Amino acid sequence: MNAVSPWHRAALCAVLALAAFGIVARAQRGGPPGAARTPQQAAPVDLTGYWVSLVTEDWRYRVVTPPKGDYTAVPLSPAGRKAADTWNPAQDEAAGDACRAYGIGGVMRLPGRLHITWQDDRTLKLETEAGTQTRLLSFAASSPGAPDWQGVSRATWDRSEPVIGGGFFAPAASPGGSLKVVTTGMKPGYLRRNGVPYSASAVFTEYFDRFALPGGDALLVVQTEVVDPTYLSQPFWTSTHFKRQADATGWSPTPCRAQ
Amino acid sequence: MSRTVRPAYAARVTFAIAAGIALLAAQPATQAPPAGAAPAPAFDISGYWTSPLHEDSMERGAGPEIADYGGYPLSEAGRLFALSYDPSRLTLRHHQCDGYVLPYQLRALGNSRAWEERDPHTHALVAIHWFSQTFEGKRTIWMDGRPHPPAYAPHTWMGFSTGRFVGNALEVRTTHLKHGWLSRNGLPESDQATTVEFFVRHGDRLTNTIVVTDPVFLSEAFIRTTDFYRQPVDHQTWLFPCDDGEQILGRAPDDVPNYLFGENPFVGEYSQKYKLSPAGHLGGAATMYPAIEARLRTAGVKDGLEAMRPAAGPALVSKAANPEPTDGEIHTWPLRDHVYLLAGDGGNIVVQVGDEGAFVVDTGTGKLTTKTIAAIRKLTDKPIQFIANTSFHPDRTGGNIALRAAGVDPSLKGTFFSLQFRDAGGAATIIGHQNVQNRLTAAGMRTEGHPSDTYLEERRRKFHNGEAIELLWQPNAITDGDSIVHFRRADVIVAGNVFTTTQYPFIDVANGGSIAGEIRALNEILNRTVYRHQEEGGTIVIPGHGYVSDEHEVVEYRDMVVIVRDRIRALIEKGATLAQVKAARPTADYDARYGATTGRWTTDMFVEAVFRSLGDSRKATK
Repeated sequence: MNAVSPWHRAALCAVLALAAFGIVARAQRGGPPGAARTPQQAAPVDLTGYWVSLVTEDWRYRVVTPPKGDYTAVPLSPAGRKAADTWNPAQDEAAGDACRAYGIGGVMRLPGRLHITWQDDRTLKLETEAGTQTRLLSFAASSPGAPDWQGVSRATWDRSEPVIGGGFFAPAASPGGSLKVVTTGMKPGYLRRNGVPYSASAVFTEYFDRFALPGGDALLVVQTEVVDPTYLSQPFWTSTHFKRQADATGWSPTPCRAQ
Repeated sequence: MSRTVRPAYAARVTFAIAAGIALLAAQPATQAPPAGAAPAPAFDISGYWTSPLHEDSMERGAGPEIADYGGYPLSEAGRLFALSYDPSRLTLRHHQCDGYVLPYQLRALGNSRAWEERDPHTHALVAIHWFSQTFEGKRTIWMDGRPHPPAYAPHTWMGFSTGRFVGNALEVRTTHLKHGWLSRNGLPESDQATTVEFFVRHGDRLTNTIVVTDPVFLSEAFIRTTDFYRQPVDHQTWLFPCDDGEQILGRAPDDVPNYLFGENPFVGEYSQKYKLSPAGHLGGAATMYPAIEARLRTAGVKDGLEAMRPAAGPALVSKAANPEPTDGEIHTWPLRDHVYLLAGDGGNIVVQVGDEGAFVVDTGTGKLTTKTIAAIRKLTDKPIQFIANTSFHPDRTGGNIALRAAGVDPSLKGTFFSLQFRDAGGAATIIGHQNVQNRLTAAGMRTEGHPSDTYLEERRRKFHNGEAIELLWQPNAITDGDSIVHFRRADVIVAGNVFTTTQYPFIDVANGGSIAGEIRALNEILNRTVYRHQEEGGTIVIPGHGYVSDEHEVVEYRDMVVIVRDRIRALIEKGATLAQVKAARPTADYDARYGATTGRWTTDMFVEAVFRSLGDSRKATK
């Protein structure tokens, strides 16, 4: 058996030390095995409050109902175009589906305010003026019930961190962060009010970011990706911005309208 | 010599070092960086990026419709400017290759590339570079904490940007933008605009949020978000060359396509096509907010049409920042080769230096002449040899006497002149058009301050300090004695008060100025300029007042003068009196940029000068 040299022993000590302190480092960055903090306590960004939409993009598609068949820029598949071309708002109204444009795929683009609160320490509640909708963004796994317009939204805090963290060479996670929300299990609805469709099998991935503006204002930017194997030929991306309000001024929820 | 290391000691030392390093690495991520240190980058922006055009696709692709301004928080000036804009303006030589300003460049079609510049020794992040394929928009975001340049520095399409990482975002602030557009249908962005941007990256998706603040054309900040997806490989088509040419033959040089107030024909067309009220699609801050939805349910295609004309009321004053230093100091800004701007004495001064004496163009108001002379002496140990005056006005000639006295003209010493005039060459020689001398004589200035080397027609030429210099007479522009001065090697044109970035042209009708001559003079500058790239750079133009410019600033100014002339002429042709012309606010879209209600040159004075100048020309043609 070979004798272990002093330098081998030293090297072993160093590796053990690095491994140990690497674990400490990762724990301090919020990774496992950190202390259990609730999602509300761990929030890297405060999204709560009243936010008013600033409709500066796709204006004509958002403030009025565009004509049937105008689905410019939405990467519809042939099935999607066919569905859009058969849009019948009166039929929606009669069928009790007046809220089809106010589901997860449309409501964030409609003019209106948002009210975001913590329903509990694991669930953000997002209420909309447009269509008087409520979205529950849950940090805990939940079993889907019957599909509704807003579906099941799973929330996580998203921060840039090394793929494999800890140790000598991994940079610290960046400060700040985003809210990531993945939504499935909703009723089919409309991406735009004129019947541009998404299906029940669509997956919505959203990132919520907050930015501080000069003068003390704040912006909320929601980036949305829609992947729909039924009605879209490729992912559909939008980003929608809101300005923070100091209070509930102007808050006036409105009912869904099919027209 | 060798030493023996005890095993236990080696292990302890190595452990201590490793533990120390690991502890440093284990600092909590949220700990603030040391004072003065830049925050660590939150993400890497490097790579190839393409925008998917899922938003505003028509505007960004085929092009926006002409009267589609919904959602833009336009001020009255912004709306009127847009309504006056005739897209045929793009057929003008000097607009054919207009680049995109930053807020639109990010929104444009095409691919972009981003990369980092790092200090080769410390590897600190110095800058982030962003190149956009369309119009080859190239920007640099300085990350090293450097300050923004002074207000008299040049403006560019991309502006001057500095950045820092804040939380998970790259925050970028930009100043020194050129006048350009927010949308290709003529929706303007002024050279007074500034922006704040936030870049965030989520995987292979990058989102830019830009906040545009423009005191001239916007009543609130305009905010837009643009998504990019990461391309895995270089598409290798980065070039977007543009050279201008003749698109409409025989067009008069003072023809700038524009619509008179209230006469843009596409407003009605757009309203009818989309069944949308002008109360919405003519824009304004209210059209960004949710209440517009209810408003448009009841508004008709005739509602909001009053916004096509200036509202009654007093003229606005300029909201532009003063680009001229007012701290009582002379500020030196290098232009090109050995030509410099000296700013601070109430009017721009330009000096060329070399192995001969200094050649100075204009002498300011004369309040800081001692400092001007000191600034020149920092640039050269040669004396001031020549002074050129672009006009007789006091902001051009105020320092003549003192600067002349501070110089000498060796070209006169030793000539036969010195036999006739004992002081020949004992001071700098002042050059100018004969009418400058005539006007200064009439104004009572001492003769030492007059040009002694005068010319009567076309141009005066000098070859000095290895460079051809031309003084070109601009008849009946601001006055009857204006010259522009062209340093041909450095390719710097000193425009005098023919062109400023601070006010409406000071057309001094009483001293021979005229609107026609002013337009002709601006076009003469444009006949001599050559841009470097996409209507930017190349020939430097120094205004009588304001910031270092190139031909784009001159062409926008020329357009403004022509458009205001067209409006006043149209009113005169309808029989309007001067009072009626003033009440019609023919400068309404430019007042927030150039207007004044007090001081030496007010908007009313400018309108009156144009009115009288046009009246005089009508009389002359009868």
